[in-house]
Amino acid sequence: MCATYVITRISNVLIMDRRKFLKQSSLASSLFFVPSFVRAFEQVASSSLGYKRLVIIQLSGGNDGLNTIIPFGNDLYYKARPTLGIKANDTIKLNDEIGLNGSLTPLKRLYDNGHLTIINNVGYPNPVRSHFRSMDIWQTATDSDKFSQSGWLGRYLDAYGKQPYSAIEINDSLSLAMKGETTNAIATQDPKVFYNLSKDPYFQNIHNHKNDAHLSEHNLGYLYKSMIAAESSAKYIYETSKTVSTTKAYPNNTFGKQLKTTAQFINSKIDSKVFYCSLNGFDTHVNQLNNQKRLLKTYAEGVEAFVQDLKDKDSFKDTLILTFSEFGRRVNQNANVGTDHGTANNVFIIGDQLKKQGLYNNMASLSDLDINGDLKFEIDFRTIYATVLNKWLEVDDKKILNKSFKQLDFI
Amino acid sequence: MKKKHIQHLYWRIGFGILPNELNTLSKQNKKTVIDSLFKASKTVTLLKLDTPQLDDLLSGSYERTRENIKKVQKLSREKTKQLNVAWIDRLANSKALLREKMTLFWANHFVCEDNVYNYSQQFHNTLRKHALGNFNDFVVAISKEAAMTKYLNTKQNKKQKPNENFARELMELFTLGVGNYTENDIKESAKAFTGYSHDLQGEFVFKTRKHDDGLKTFFGKTGYFKGEDIIDLILEKKECAIYICRKLYRYFVNDTIDEKNVNAMADVFYKDYNIENVMRFMLLSDWFYDEKNMGTKIKSPVEFLVGIKTMVPVDFKKPKQLLYIQKLLGQVLLNPPNVAGWKGGRNWIDSNTIVMRLKLPSLILNNAYISKVAIGTSNITEETEKLAFKKQYGKHFKTDSDWNYFNNAFKNIELKDLGNYLLACPINETANTYLNTLKAVSKQEYCVQLMSLPEYQMC
Repeated sequence: MCATYVITRISNVLIMDRRKFLKQSSLASSLFFVPSFVRAFEQVASSSLGYKRLVIIQLSGGNDGLNTIIPFGNDLYYKARPTLGIKANDTIKLNDEIGLNGSLTPLKRLYDNGHLTIINNVGYPNPVRSHFRSMDIWQTATDSDKFSQSGWLGRYLDAYGKQPYSAIEINDSLSLAMKGETTNAIATQDPKVFYNLSKDPYFQNIHNHKNDAHLSEHNLGYLYKSMIAAESSAKYIYETSKTVSTTKAYPNNTFGKQLKTTAQFINSKIDSKVFYCSLNGFDTHVNQLNNQKRLLKTYAEGVEAFVQDLKDKDSFKDTLILTFSEFGRRVNQNANVGTDHGTANNVFIIGDQLKKQGLYNNMASLSDLDINGDLKFEIDFRTIYATVLNKWLEVDDKKILNKSFKQLDFI
Repeated sequence: MKKKHIQHLYWRIGFGILPNELNTLSKQNKKTVIDSLFKASKTVTLLKLDTPQLDDLLSGSYERTRENIKKVQKLSREKTKQLNVAWIDRLANSKALLREKMTLFWANHFVCEDNVYNYSQQFHNTLRKHALGNFNDFVVAISKEAAMTKYLNTKQNKKQKPNENFARELMELFTLGVGNYTENDIKESAKAFTGYSHDLQGEFVFKTRKHDDGLKTFFGKTGYFKGEDIIDLILEKKECAIYICRKLYRYFVNDTIDEKNVNAMADVFYKDYNIENVMRFMLLSDWFYDEKNMGTKIKSPVEFLVGIKTMVPVDFKKPKQLLYIQKLLGQVLLNPPNVAGWKGGRNWIDSNTIVMRLKLPSLILNNAYISKVAIGTSNITEETEKLAFKKQYGKHFKTDSDWNYFNNAFKNIELKDLGNYLLACPINETANTYLNTLKAVSKQEYCVQLMSLPEYQMC
């Protein structure tokens, strides 16, 4: 007993001595312990400009666009949806024909202030009605008969991101959209947890600046390099973002928290250009009315708080928010007062510098449907991506989308 | 056979090897060791769960009502999660190591998923059945799997309205690789796969009326080709053997291709497309044990997880958490990202996954501690942070780890030699020096420390 105790004590002393030694020798010149490529990242970060940011909000499950932006002036709408159609008086009217879902009051305020563009009837050729596949298509921006293992924002990161945290997903793990061919974004719900996870002293003690020259030459070196970069990113994200705290009240739900974290990132002037958030549950095959109402309320309240938070810190002018869902839903309601998977849908663009505010284009035709009874899309979603890449992030959209798409003029 | 070579062999065709077995095998020659591997994998033990409710729903009297479809989907989701857990368990505990590792390999080659559990279980077992068999039979079986006819739309491929999805992926991903066929070859071969469908129980059904029985011109040959004929014609191309051998080489030998070795494998494989033969050739060849091939591959998340379980059996009290870990590490079994599967290699690694990988052994085996700081030596903030951390992450990982099993397996191994058994590559100098300063720990703690090294990610 006694002997063990002594041994433990001795080893503790040894550890402590080593710790002290590390501290003393490295504190003054801690940069020597950080490999040069990491230092390069950090220098870039500190010299960053006040630039534009893109926030993506993904409504997962396939939001029913027709009950979001409601064509109450169209008889065909009520014909297709005898019990699911929302009455004109229950909508928030935008004009004599079209109204917002009743739970989108906060969005109406953004609309009134000229902060919202609604792009109707967005889709892609040969639509796929599987959640996974269609989400893949939206996230990779490929044709529906091709697949890609990298996402459009990941490829942006490959070409223009300076470090993994150039793009951050507010989640536990990364979506395909945020994975590039060579660079992946960072996923984190809570920068503090991520930082704590990465900064175990053990990890700092097992590498040394001396071998960083050869770090990426073989797979093991690549792992060390990734470990060091992760530590560095986690530290940067945590230390930068903790400089601001939000007093703004957000709705108390996961989505609200995601947006709050995003606002904290943006307001801290972190050197990240793309943020990715998502709200799940839109797969409303059954009893759609209340479910969708609740979800849209969560969405709109969250977004309004987010915009206000950004405005308070003068960051809204440099932020563009793009909301999409993997598909819209079938025009006809189903037997369970819900809707099945469909095709084209609306996309929301929220920002301070919108060229064309309000309704960007006409609603989809409800008389000219495809053989499944789905909407025929008018605007390819990749033209929206191309526009955002080219006009907002100011990069070569062809390089990222591997194809040239028409530019739209909403920004 | 040299111990080092046996360990290499077992990292690649399994998930590591414990000291006792290593000792026994080291007294045998290479051929005997490898023969016993194949022998142990001769029988096929299917992985099946009891699915009385689903079987009932999918029986003859099934009505395609929305309610029934919902039920099938809900039950299927639950069962798929259970199969995931059972599969991990199988990987960690099977005697048919090679067959199981090959099944894992093929699952990322013939990539498929389905929302009806019975079909995906059947597909999963088809992979296991053919894992070491004849490749031609394998491809034919895959083309007729219910799950595949759904996944790549052969079901919608009709004479009147062909769907090329399966024909394209068959050549691009399953057999030849890009550049070895034309768009016209795809169009023509798609016709041969028209009429493919399945019944409710998942049995293949050939719908003659939907089949295009006309002439097709494929790879310069014209005939009334059926699906099987197309597969024959594809396999006649040496490129097919090369394509598969490259993939095998990348998975079992090295991310970096050595054309000479791959061609040697392809020569063997092309003769009769017997998978067992080409695998035996690969495992017996000297180059398989070249220094440059040892300890140089990055483990897949599943190899990493199962590898831990092989050394220290660990059970997740909540199966959901095992799935969650797979998600965090970037590979959820039975839930591939798309038809091309996981890219593998360095693509497993990003800032999130590397941190998770390094932290995971301590999280599931040692209450999140890597190197324990004894009372009186740590500073308070650090401890508070660790506690906060545990609070955040601890809730995710409720595990039972069987350290007795580990201690027993390693009882004759000296602490300083532990690395030789747990790691596939040498520890870098800095880490080694640091580990030496931490000497007075138990084997158990040292095991966690070793598993927390980037070196442990290699196989």
